[in-house]
Amino acid sequence: MNRQAVITGIGVVAPNGIGTDAFWKATREGVSVLDRVTRKGCEGLPLRVAGEVHGFDAASAIEERFVVQTDRFTHFAMAAADLALADARLSTDPDEPFAVGVVTAAGSGGGEFGQRELQRLWGQGPRFVGPYQSIAWFYAASTGQISIRGGFKGPCGVVASDEAGGLDAIAHACRNLHRDTGTDAVVVGAAEAPLAPYSAVCQLGYAELSLAAEADRAYLPFTAHACGFVPAEGGAMLVVEALDHALARGAEPRAVLAGHAATFTGPSRWAESREGLVRAIRGALDEAGCVPADIDVVFADALGTPDADLAEAQAISDVFGPHGVPVTAPKTGTGRAYCGSPLLDTAAAVLAIEHGTVPPTPQVTEVRDDLGLDLVTGRARSARLRTALVLSRGLMGSNAALVVKEYTP
Amino acid sequence: MSNDQIIQALTYDELASLMKSSAGITVDPQHLTASPDTPFAEYGLDSLGLLGIVGELENRRGVAITGEADSCKTPGSFMEVVNGSLKAGVI
Repeated sequence: MNRQAVITGIGVVAPNGIGTDAFWKATREGVSVLDRVTRKGCEGLPLRVAGEVHGFDAASAIEERFVVQTDRFTHFAMAAADLALADARLSTDPDEPFAVGVVTAAGSGGGEFGQRELQRLWGQGPRFVGPYQSIAWFYAASTGQISIRGGFKGPCGVVASDEAGGLDAIAHACRNLHRDTGTDAVVVGAAEAPLAPYSAVCQLGYAELSLAAEADRAYLPFTAHACGFVPAEGGAMLVVEALDHALARGAEPRAVLAGHAATFTGPSRWAESREGLVRAIRGALDEAGCVPADIDVVFADALGTPDADLAEAQAISDVFGPHGVPVTAPKTGTGRAYCGSPLLDTAAAVLAIEHGTVPPTPQVTEVRDDLGLDLVTGRARSARLRTALVLSRGLMGSNAALVVKEYTP
Repeated sequence: MSNDQIIQALTYDELASLMKSSAGITVDPQHLTASPDTPFAEYGLDSLGLLGIVGELENRRGVAITGEADSCKTPGSFMEVVNGSLKAGVI
């Protein structure tokens, strides 16, 4: 039996809003929240503009012991998981603890926590390093803490990857449901906190990182002014559930996770990413039982360098034809939160389908003519949306595509 | 530090403040005093948390704490092991 996987809960902690209502309002309006980096210790770095999550109070979002024992990226993930679980009205069934699993993706880890402890190591000595360093910096921390805190003993996993790993985590969760091994739901997603000095310095080595000083010029993919991407923090968690289980408990499916595929074409080999994306898109469409004409909107990766933008536009044209499908990139208003970024796009895709609205690409006005893209800019576009395609590429060479369909009873 | 210096004993007040600063767990010191046999686990303090408290105490007192204090299950047994070790004054 191949159980269908549906989204029953969405929890967002994003630079442009905490909670799906605030997130969708800002996304629909095309608000950009890119601004000067203000995170402590980052002031003197060449990185000038980022998408920070403001107004997130960890102490009110999660228990104090997790504030002390875990990194900011886990604070985000735990808070987002709570929001998703509340949206899905799902909690642990003490009789069925193995029915719910947890999967997260991470590309950055707990850099802020780790830096603090390493400074103690070299500043004061090994006896001053706290024991929570052993788990808090680690890519797997969020999965572990969400699992322990919620009592979720089903299949747990971590995708340690570049940006596209966010979509691969969703696919990993779906596979656990498809196989029908006793898993009814998976809490899945990604949230990152790479805006800390050590983590930011690591990113300075990326040729694709935008070091522009003006927030409205720093991240302009698909334009002649493209100068790289702006990093961000935050992300989203989802409750992904077997359709039969959701219906049996009276939960409302918000969307169907219909298909996914991933390829690898090598770090920063953007010309090659064209074919990688095409294969990922075709693979995802095949799994979803879709033809290109079924796709009503594409949420683009929108890396923001001329060669990467061209490769993505070519890939979209290869599958859909020039100007063949509306394309949007809401992330130009928030920045790229690494693995969290495609999760925010997936959340936006579900909300777009629910509202019949393609959100615009903030700040982008003059799209390159040679790209053949129908990029939605300026204002949101009303449209009947049944099926959305989310694309993601990572700096280390991963490409992934996810097909999200409206749920029809 | 020499052996004839008096090393300050651990109190429930200090233990409560260490649980807060090292592991983020708020607990009333009077509760620790009144119920020394309530397991640390009931307050949400795990083994890593207790290890951190032992490390912080060693840094504050400047002595090693012997007797496997980090594997104690209750505040009462922890106080006994820690203060026994401090009294012995092993450096």
